[in-house]
Amino acid sequence: MDALRQAFELLFPPDKELLQILGVTLRMSFFSTTLSCLIGLPLGALIGTRQFCGKAFLKKLIHTLMGLPPVVAGLIVYTLFTHYGPFGRLHLLFTVRVMVIAQCLLIIPVVTGLTASFLEKGAKPMIETAKGMGLSRGRVLFLCLSESRASLLSVVLGAFGRSIAEVGAVSIVGGNIQWKTRVMTTAIMLETNKGRFSFALALGIILLLLAFAVNVAASWVVKEDVRDD
Amino acid sequence: MIEVKGLKKCYRGRTVLDLDELRVQQGSTLALAGANGSGKTTLLRILAGNLKPTEGAVETASPVLYLPQRSYPFRGTVLDNMLLGAKDKKEEALHLLQSAELAHLQSKKAASLSGGELQRLAFCRLLVRPCRLLLLDEPTSACDAAGAKLLLELLARYRRETGCTVILSTHTPAVALQAAQRLLILHNGRPEADGDPKELLSAPGSDWAREFVAGWKI
Repeated sequence: MDALRQAFELLFPPDKELLQILGVTLRMSFFSTTLSCLIGLPLGALIGTRQFCGKAFLKKLIHTLMGLPPVVAGLIVYTLFTHYGPFGRLHLLFTVRVMVIAQCLLIIPVVTGLTASFLEKGAKPMIETAKGMGLSRGRVLFLCLSESRASLLSVVLGAFGRSIAEVGAVSIVGGNIQWKTRVMTTAIMLETNKGRFSFALALGIILLLLAFAVNVAASWVVKEDVRDD
Repeated sequence: MIEVKGLKKCYRGRTVLDLDELRVQQGSTLALAGANGSGKTTLLRILAGNLKPTEGAVETASPVLYLPQRSYPFRGTVLDNMLLGAKDKKEEALHLLQSAELAHLQSKKAASLSGGELQRLAFCRLLVRPCRLLLLDEPTSACDAAGAKLLLELLARYRRETGCTVILSTHTPAVALQAAQRLLILHNGRPEADGDPKELLSAPGSDWAREFVAGWKI
């Protein structure tokens, strides 16, 4: 109850720092989800709809990367962007940009793998029909993605869910810096470490509300899509 | 001319298609018959370029159009489906829908059609565009007698207009008799009997072919 009261107090009127944390969280999740989908959806579509040498190995690799622990992803990106790392001169460490890169490393395999498995199982009749009609490869791929948009939206939502709930990688590369790289999950971790459990729980409730709002919006879009059809 | 030489398709060591040679004259119609799993669909999918053969070479005339056994109704109306990739052929599309007795359904969602209507739509969707090789996998399997008759009439007209070669698989002797000049009966992926449909149905040749033909509902 105390956590609920604190969550309410943080939201009404909105706490300035909370708003800033929410802003960073949404910005990071939006960019990492968008970038991951821009890369993962077409890549997954290619893997799911085409036959090529090494496909089985590539699928195994992607499935392995789908389970990549966030701290390992964070460590890899940290090593790459640290002062002495290959990309050190870009000075991106402890910025939101590098947090987005770390999250992409985690989310791209998820989007690619899920898209490929969905299209492999569900799109065979579509592809065979479209190819049989003499449509070009690009047109076949576009048709498949368009026909599967409701299912692919679930993939996008899954990616967003992974992004917004992730803590390991963003805390390593972002550093949880107040007013700069602090996001909801790293703030919850910090408050828990300080022993402010109610406050941490209040942040958790707000994070859940945020995820719920995004899911409701997406479900609405899917429902509209089904109604349109 | 469609030419197939030394064609073999194996799945995990099991040979599902084994054709030493097959030649089909340009402009003719070949009907494929055989029990389930005899290799009819495999042969059509190889000719359509949807499946790679394990061995052998295939020479086909292009463009090739292929009607799979279960065609997919794409999003949108019946007319939207007809115009997929053929936006400039609205007049032909409407004419085809009229001929296939689907014109009254042109504004209906394609996904809401019955099995027979969908099969007619899928067939007409192909005929909007010209081709040199038309591959049809059981094109009348979901149709009633009237629907099947309509499809065969449309096929005959399309063949006359384009001069294309047609290879179709069927479980219905009437389709082979009405549409094809040649019937090839496959058994376990190998040709069992090959010839004029009428002659083959009256004198099938091998014991297996005789038994198979006797089982056909004439």
